[in-house]
Amino acid sequence: MLDAAAPPKKIVEVRDLKMHFPIHAGVFRRRVGEVKAVDGVSFDIHEGETLGLVGESGCGKSTCGRAILRLYDITEGSVVIDGREIGHIPQKELRPLRPRMQMVFQDPQASLDPRMTVAAIIGEPLVEHTGLSRDARLERIYELMDAVGLNRNFANRYPHEFSGGQRQRIGIARALALNPKFIVCDEPIAALDVSIQAQVVNLLEDLQKRLGLTYLFISHDLSMVRHIASRVAVMYLGKVVELAPRDDLYETPLHPYTQALLSAVPDPDPASAEKVKRIILQGDVPSPANPPKGCNFCTRCPRVMPVCHHEEPAFTEVAPGRFVACHLHDGTKIPEAPAAAAADQQGDAT
Amino acid sequence: MPDGAMPVLDVRNLRTVFRTRSGEVHAVNDVSFDLRPGELLGVVGESGSGKSVTMMSLIGLLPSPPAEVRSGQALLDGRDLLGMTPEELRKVRGARVGFIFQDPMTSLNPVFTVGFQLTEPLRTHMGMTRPEARRRAAELLELVGISDAERRLDDYPHQFSGGMRQRVMIAMALACDPEVLIADEPTTALDVTIQAQILELVKELRHKLGMAIVWITHDLGVIAGIADRVMVMYAGQVVEQAPVKELFTNPQHPYTRALLQTVPSVRGRRVEKLRVIRGQPPVLGAPPAACPFRPRCDHALARCARENPQRIALGSGHDVACFWDPATGEERHA
Ligand SMILES: Nc1ncnc2c1ncn2[C@@H]1O[C@H](COP(=O)(O)OP(=O)(O)OP(=O)(O)O)[C@@H](O)[C@H]1O
Ligand SMILES: Nc1ncnc2c1ncn2[C@@H]1O[C@H](COP(=O)(O)OP(=O)(O)OP(=O)(O)O)[C@@H](O)[C@H]1O
Ligand SMILES: [Mg+2]
Ligand SMILES: [Mg+2]
Repeated sequence: MLDAAAPPKKIVEVRDLKMHFPIHAGVFRRRVGEVKAVDGVSFDIHEGETLGLVGESGCGKSTCGRAILRLYDITEGSVVIDGREIGHIPQKELRPLRPRMQMVFQDPQASLDPRMTVAAIIGEPLVEHTGLSRDARLERIYELMDAVGLNRNFANRYPHEFSGGQRQRIGIARALALNPKFIVCDEPIAALDVSIQAQVVNLLEDLQKRLGLTYLFISHDLSMVRHIASRVAVMYLGKVVELAPRDDLYETPLHPYTQALLSAVPDPDPASAEKVKRIILQGDVPSPANPPKGCNFCTRCPRVMPVCHHEEPAFTEVAPGRFVACHLHDGTKIPEAPAAAAADQQGDAT
Repeated sequence: MPDGAMPVLDVRNLRTVFRTRSGEVHAVNDVSFDLRPGELLGVVGESGSGKSVTMMSLIGLLPSPPAEVRSGQALLDGRDLLGMTPEELRKVRGARVGFIFQDPMTSLNPVFTVGFQLTEPLRTHMGMTRPEARRRAAELLELVGISDAERRLDDYPHQFSGGMRQRVMIAMALACDPEVLIADEPTTALDVTIQAQILELVKELRHKLGMAIVWITHDLGVIAGIADRVMVMYAGQVVEQAPVKELFTNPQHPYTRALLQTVPSVRGRRVEKLRVIRGQPPVLGAPPAACPFRPRCDHALARCARENPQRIALGSGHDVACFWDPATGEERHA
């Protein structure tokens, strides 16, 4: 699939991104520390692809997504979107760039203003960023409603009159209003029923094909990410511990955290549920205000070594497109992969 | 009953209605099921299908009004729970039926120590002295894998992590050695690695304590891993019931079949396009006169619009409420 001659265009390039939130305490609200929500993250997202971002609650997925779109003033690092560095430019200069990059939120209920009609919600970015006439705007709103499968007759209804899946469609329609190139989808299906999740995922895939969209798909649902993403980044306590093409990651995870995470996902099939060897991690995730010394995962890692307690592992490319931050892979160039997988990779490269 | 054992819990024709200002909501429509000693019954279904209301109806945990249990029978060791006084039900809840709720913070009181909350029911329902109750409480915390249990009895709920709070909830539900444990989405709010810890714990405890468990979830993966038998609910009805392997290998109801195809997996073959169940589940203002799944069903027959199918037994503990036969693609012959 990969065309060696023309490397895929990078729409997003993130380097050493850090987002630390200050912790204040005492009567004078003195700064006593910081939550290292995102602590040195690097990755690229290619045009037209979906990068999945997975990890457990509090590991910094949402913060990462929001920081990339500059919904925060970031602590450190660089973010290049479509060739333009936006990491530290002032919000005023960001405004004209906003239309190109959008966000779909987890909770459709909370992210839609209950006092606005569907038409007003979808049309809001058009009012703010375009000079379209009323009629042209309404035409565009109808077009967007068609695109996400909402009945035009519902344009004057309010969000509470819709189901969860329909509300998520409203959020998606609004994100599409200004023809964005890049969309951060933050847990877009987490609040939906199983039978409705597939509707929204299929819609996102459809729109991607039709409009050439690029997604950062944030989710804790590893099976859905396997379905939708082309490459996957795994976060733990503010850092990306592994990044790989989808099939590599799910078939031969390299980082012990990825291995444990994947093994913990229950299988909707009793026969295979019996066969899977589960790696049960002990304890809980440490606080991002006080991460452990050395490797962030060393307090729970089943394969921890002495070096892990004092030296942070570097995030290195150990095979083409496969990155991992783990001392087990220090000095590895090509991971020990089964012959078949290795053959596949070669096949891909040609 | 195939295995001949007397059920610990036998529920027949339960109907529960909410009377709201905008009319009635028929949340539970003629639900029947039983629970055998030592068995784990999984209950699946989408949001609003009546899973929680069914179980809360049994032990008097619904606010009334607006809730009204219209009919039915729920025999716990031969005694009807639905005919009990609130006082009798309170005793049942304290001593014979344990309950774990989805959100641990709603049932753990933030202003009392975990030790107080664990010992209180032991003293009132089991008549233990304070030191006896404290010893037992520490034992329970140890049982659910909380280390340094004795000391942690003096901690408040907010001093525990989410996974540990859920363990405390399990310890509380187990305090009085119940015959039946009802667990309502006990792991839904947890991360997968923490969920895996809790599921391991439950598997282990089942063998140690031998109680019967009802486990409510919308996660088919969780069900596949721990249940002996599964009951699928849709619009306040049981639409299918079967032993776990049978349900996953030979699903009969179009809803169950579609549900199994819409969930992707992290293992095995990856599907290119997810199967979609179109439309929405209904909210019922009246007991359904036709099959409530019909508007979303790919196999609806003319008869499905006229009658609501009753559950029919297919043998080996498998039953389904549907007129359509997946083997022939036509109407099922009785
Ligand atoms: N505005 C903020 N101020 C202080 N701390 C914050 C802020 N936003 C997030 N955090 C903290 O940063 C960490 C990462 O949070 P984030 O919401 O990014 O996690 P997440 O991976 O999206 O989790 P979830 O899966 O629960 O959505 C958490 O410890 C969180 O408490
Ligand atoms: N207090 C109430 N007043 C009115 N209707 C209610 C009340 N509680 C529940 N219902 C309705 O009863 C029906 C069944 O709800 P129930 O909570 O049993 O669903 P559930 O299957 O447990 O769903 P979930 O997976 O979301 O927990 C729903 O339609 C719900 O709206
Ligand atoms: Mg988040
Ligand atoms: Mg419920």
